[in-house]
Amino acid sequence: MFDIMTVFESLIEIIRVVPKTLLLALIILLLSFMLGAVLTYIQSLNIPVIKQILDVLQSFLRGTPNVVLLYLVYYSLPLAISYFLSLFGVPFDPASLNSAAVVIVTFSICYSVFQSEIIRGALHSLDKDQIEAAQSLGYSTTQTLRKVIVPQVMTEALPDTMNAFLIIIKALSLAFLVTVVDIFAQARLVGAQTFSYLEAFVAAALVYWAICGLLTYLMNKVENRMRRGYV
Amino acid sequence: MLSLRNLKLSFDGSQVLDDINLDVKKGEVVTLIGPSGTGKTSLLRCINLLERPDSGFISLGGLDYDYSRISKKEALNLRRKTAMVFQQYNLFKNKTAIENVMDAQMVVQKKSRKEAYEKSMQELKRVGLEAKVDAYPSQLSGGQQQRVSIARALAVEPEVILFDEPTSALDPELVGEVLKSIEEVAKSGMTIMLVTHEMSFARDISDKIVFMDKGRIAESGTPEEIFSQSTNTRTQQFLNKFYTAVH
Ligand SMILES: Nc1ncnc2c1ncn2[C@@H]1O[C@H](COP(=O)(O)OP(=O)(O)OP(=O)(O)O)[C@@H](O)[C@H]1O
Ligand SMILES: [Mg+2]
Repeated sequence: MFDIMTVFESLIEIIRVVPKTLLLALIILLLSFMLGAVLTYIQSLNIPVIKQILDVLQSFLRGTPNVVLLYLVYYSLPLAISYFLSLFGVPFDPASLNSAAVVIVTFSICYSVFQSEIIRGALHSLDKDQIEAAQSLGYSTTQTLRKVIVPQVMTEALPDTMNAFLIIIKALSLAFLVTVVDIFAQARLVGAQTFSYLEAFVAAALVYWAICGLLTYLMNKVENRMRRGYV
Repeated sequence: MLSLRNLKLSFDGSQVLDDINLDVKKGEVVTLIGPSGTGKTSLLRCINLLERPDSGFISLGGLDYDYSRISKKEALNLRRKTAMVFQQYNLFKNKTAIENVMDAQMVVQKKSRKEAYEKSMQELKRVGLEAKVDAYPSQLSGGQQQRVSIARALAVEPEVILFDEPTSALDPELVGEVLKSIEEVAKSGMTIMLVTHEMSFARDISDKIVFMDKGRIAESGTPEEIFSQSTNTRTQQFLNKFYTAVH
């Protein structure tokens, strides 16, 4: 029997891991944004061999499911770190690697490709006229960057970036595979304890939906603020 | 007040400006005319270093600069003594009219918000836009946007304002209000360099007309000398074409 009270009880349990899930997603968003910016920059330099390597890497990341990448990183990252540290004579037990680190590394790399595209699009839409206006008024390079370029790029990149944030939150439901407890993993645990999987997953769906709704609402507010003056 | 010596500019090997020498006195209105592609825009853009000349000298407001070895700091200095009014207005789209006028005062001149606000109000009144101070550029007509951009240029109190075809992008019925604002600026004693195809306006407002042709100054003089007494065949050809096109 479907029991509404169990849904509420599950809800309370699940909400406890919301902050952790959001924090993970935020870290991944920031890292992938930075990585994406670096990627965009390196690609803009058009260095022969490096550009081709990055292209291949990007097509690999785009073409591989997140689950596969997650396992790849899960099994290779500890070995890589242990090998790297051994070069400096530092001992490292591959089993001791925090699995949250695995999730962060995997998704940061995955989404850096998308972030890079978002940034490229925003830079592409930069209005050269406004930059020249600032220069003609004597804004220094940093002042132009801070006052004219960054606000424009942010306005352009914000909606897609916020979207990416929502996608990351949802993609984190894969994290249970490497024992990281996010919203979805918590729902599985709660369901297993009470033998009421349906109620637990209904609760999880409600939580995802609420987060999504709230973030979309906030995002629209911010976007409207930033886009004032744009038609 | 402003003088250019031996200014040269080339784009990928083609000489766009060739040995430009020009003097502008304080409070003078100097208008550049000439066929399309002769380097009028480029010349204005060299003065505020939006374009970097290959060689030449400029002195402005008592300081001399050598274009071939100008430092970043000097370039900034030079730009802060000039202001430009662009053909496409180039307003900051995400800022209101008054914020557009205030921004450079606060960012570049480090004025307080209050000071910048008062100065901006005053300049927007001068161009007749006191009722539109809180409108975004997208809510203003082309003529109004161009007047905001004139106010923005005035507000930084430059030594010279450079106007590059300020009315060319406007619907004909909006040209008048912008020309009126420019006239206002000229009357206030501001030094002006203007590129325009509005010949009768140029004739009325200018102290000096410079006729440019193929990257050189072909002839310069008072409006009377250029428009009525020129014996230069290129000038005559250009003006004739103009009159037949207009009338
Ligand atoms: N950024 C650039 N790169 C290469 N060539 C350029 C560039 N800007 C201008 N030119 C060339 O320099 C020459 C002068 O251009 P400029 O825009 O200064 O002419 P203009 O007198 O302002 O013409 P118009 O009346 O059409 O505005 C033209 O031949 C133009 O093609
Ligand atoms: Mg031009």
